[in-house]
Amino acid sequence: MNATTAAVPQTSSGISNAKLGVWLFLASEIMLFSTLFTTYIVLRLSATSWPWGWTALNVPLGTLNTAILITSSVTIVMAYARAYDRDVAGFRKWMALTLALSACFLVVKAFEYGHEFSLGIGPSTSVFYAVYFTMTGLHGLHIVGGIIVNSGLLYMSYRKDCWEDPLFLGRVEGAGLYWHFVDIVWIFLFPALYLL
Amino acid sequence: MSQSHADSHGHGHAQSFLRRYVFSVDHKVIGLQYLFASMFFLLSGFALMMLMRWQLAFPGQAIPFFGRLFPADLAPNGVMSGEFYNALGAMHGTIMIFLGIVPMGVAAFGNYVLPLQIGAPDMAFPRLNMASFWLFLPGGALMLGSFFLPGGAAQSGWTSYPPLSVINPGQTVWLLAMVLLITSSLLGSINFLVTTANLRAPGMSLMRMPVFVWGEVVASVLLLLAFPPLEGAAILQLMDRVAHTSFYMPKDLVILGSHYAGSGGGQPLLWQHLFWFLAHPEVYVLVLPPMGIVAEIIANNTRKPLHGYTTMVLSMLSIGVMSLIVWAHHMFISGMSPALSNFFLVTTMIISVPSVALMTCLVFSLKGASIRYSVPMLFALGFIPLFAIGGLTGLPLGLTVTDIYLHDTYYVIGHFHFVVVTGSVIALFGGVYHWFPKWFGRKMNDTLGQIHFWGSVICMVGIFLPMLPMGLAGASRRLYDPTAQMHNLIVQPLNVVSTMFTYGLALFQIPFLWNFFHSIFRGEKTVENPWQATTLEWACPSPPPHGNFEKTPRVYRDPYEYSAPGRKTDYWPQNEPA
Amino acid sequence: MSNTPDAARDPHRPNVKLYMAVFGALLCLTLLTVAVSKLHLPRPQAIAVGLLIAAVKASLVAAIFMHLWGEDGRIPRILAAVVFFAAMMIFPILDGAFLVPSATSRVAVADQHPDEGGAAAPAAEKPAEVK
Repeated sequence: MNATTAAVPQTSSGISNAKLGVWLFLASEIMLFSTLFTTYIVLRLSATSWPWGWTALNVPLGTLNTAILITSSVTIVMAYARAYDRDVAGFRKWMALTLALSACFLVVKAFEYGHEFSLGIGPSTSVFYAVYFTMTGLHGLHIVGGIIVNSGLLYMSYRKDCWEDPLFLGRVEGAGLYWHFVDIVWIFLFPALYLL
Repeated sequence: MSQSHADSHGHGHAQSFLRRYVFSVDHKVIGLQYLFASMFFLLSGFALMMLMRWQLAFPGQAIPFFGRLFPADLAPNGVMSGEFYNALGAMHGTIMIFLGIVPMGVAAFGNYVLPLQIGAPDMAFPRLNMASFWLFLPGGALMLGSFFLPGGAAQSGWTSYPPLSVINPGQTVWLLAMVLLITSSLLGSINFLVTTANLRAPGMSLMRMPVFVWGEVVASVLLLLAFPPLEGAAILQLMDRVAHTSFYMPKDLVILGSHYAGSGGGQPLLWQHLFWFLAHPEVYVLVLPPMGIVAEIIANNTRKPLHGYTTMVLSMLSIGVMSLIVWAHHMFISGMSPALSNFFLVTTMIISVPSVALMTCLVFSLKGASIRYSVPMLFALGFIPLFAIGGLTGLPLGLTVTDIYLHDTYYVIGHFHFVVVTGSVIALFGGVYHWFPKWFGRKMNDTLGQIHFWGSVICMVGIFLPMLPMGLAGASRRLYDPTAQMHNLIVQPLNVVSTMFTYGLALFQIPFLWNFFHSIFRGEKTVENPWQATTLEWACPSPPPHGNFEKTPRVYRDPYEYSAPGRKTDYWPQNEPA
Repeated sequence: MSNTPDAARDPHRPNVKLYMAVFGALLCLTLLTVAVSKLHLPRPQAIAVGLLIAAVKASLVAAIFMHLWGEDGRIPRILAAVVFFAAMMIFPILDGAFLVPSATSRVAVADQHPDEGGAAAPAAEKPAEVK
């Protein structure tokens, strides 16, 4: 056992509060997004016609965003690995990179939205676009939430006492879990909306 | 051992008033905040119902005293308008369920009692706990305040079925308030689950936890898994209203002779599925914590261990699992596929088995006991037969054939009010009397408590019993003017009876409210453990100080070791060494 | 800690090499799924391949980045329960699948319920649009 985990308060279950809490939160998120995917399937099954994603949306931009988000998943897990070894500078570098990539994702998404709005396409155009805008919009809100959490951690890492707090590593891990979940949602959204 | 992180958040030294009573992170203060807030919301929801009952008993007559107070568009000349009636109906349901009973049963009792019962110094995430309350209160204020906003309150029933809810005014605020309330309850349920999993005192194994804790755990799981689908569905409905999408709006919808402008292609039935995916488990969220309260009271006042503790726990768990796959029995005549109806008919009949097992354990716990008829025990004893009426009247609704006739009649209203009012609310009253000494270090007055009990129970039955024959006679549940349909005229006198008992019920809450608020300051002082109970919440001072226990208690035995042979006292606290 | 002799045997120590391998695999799979979509397969095959690739990618992220592989066994069990309840969403889908558009089209309604005026309606309907 290393010193970090030994200092974390013992719990009845042996799983730390932060980790269990984040996983339970993700459980509710799984239910939320499975509801939205259910809506997608129900509406698609009952639709008279459904466009191929690549005829309606910009696949290169979508692919770029997928790559960005996957990369950001790697950078945040690297940030966790650096924090695990108490490499403060390394943690800050990888976390800052994660934040930059998440911002890039939102910028690309904004370009896509802007292009669609300029063509007069909006959520009310058709059920396909309703699903597209709602699901990517909600996913975008989750990205924003992740950015807030991650920048909070980056800010905390500049305070000296945070590296003495045995809970800090757990918080980094929790933020990472959430971010990977957001990544997984996009991994499903991308083919469902852009390719199929 | 389980030193919570609560300790790092200041140990009550010279905290400002604001930190201490308003933005407190102490689970006990938050529990009381939830208690007072939910009592206020219960009373407001009840007030809305008293207005509606007037219209139902005396349709077209001006509301006495209060009628003139309403603006002319809601109640011209003091006579309630149809729109106002619909708004009252929708808000009564919403407030009672999402702002009254669930916050009281799960959040108020859960916050105060659950950490004490498992021997924890606080909740696992105290600040999240505070955030949960401070999302709940604005959500509740927004919901109740929607009456005063332009567009008024929601008018589409608490179920908010589209396409009506997408067209009706007032719904947007309802949806926004729901998103706040759902977020609050998600934070709360995560907190309860982590607390129970991680902060149990040494020796408190899962099967030594009091039944109330189990009820809270199952209710939290249901909230955690069933609320997100409603949150998703509410977001989609919000999109339908704000961004004019057509998630729930079918093609070629004609409203008042005009085509609906949206693109169409949506599925109104999808909302009903997603809504009931939450709202059926919600029924068990309403019932399981109160059932746990009843179990606590019964064990304490029969002075013997509960009959079949393991059976009760397993029943609660299986109710939890089953309750997520019975929802579509609310939709038998909605146009849903009959094949699905058969599936949900079967699961509905299956879930009644663990429910009956729970009730049977409670009844058998009374066998051979010399019962102490304290006020909480009266409520617990009232719960058993009346909740059973509620459960049994549900069976005809769960069977497709009889449901075709009974669906959307007053029979349904009678059924679920027996479950929720004479079940949950009565148990919650019992819980207030039971834990009041713990909360305030004083006791409530017994005589007033007995008046409150008998008056309330008689009035509640008087309100809801007439609804069953009315429904059988075919009275539809959402009618603004029941006399508008000829076949209702014969049962109209029952409506008057029901209304009279409603006002009686209001009168009998006065002794309760007086007793409650008077006893907080002037009640008879009590000791640490006035009921001579065995569970851990009675092993700390009343009211418990910040951090609850002087030193973390150690648990040696099962929760209800009453009348153990060979002991001087007839109770054997969980934390007392052998 | 990295500087203790235990570090090499610490089972929870992040494995950076593995992360990079997964990163490569995820990028390749992303390109693969886009490439497959260029083939313009028939709908059912396209959906099957697309979802299969997405499922592989998601499992990689969950198993390696989220450390589910080698995690305390209770968390995967919680997730399995959640997935079971999420799978109950199959019922709304089944219900929607039974409601095929042909069954609710105006022609079908007119055919089955002549009294409800499915076919007669269009003449009367040229009303203004409302919001």
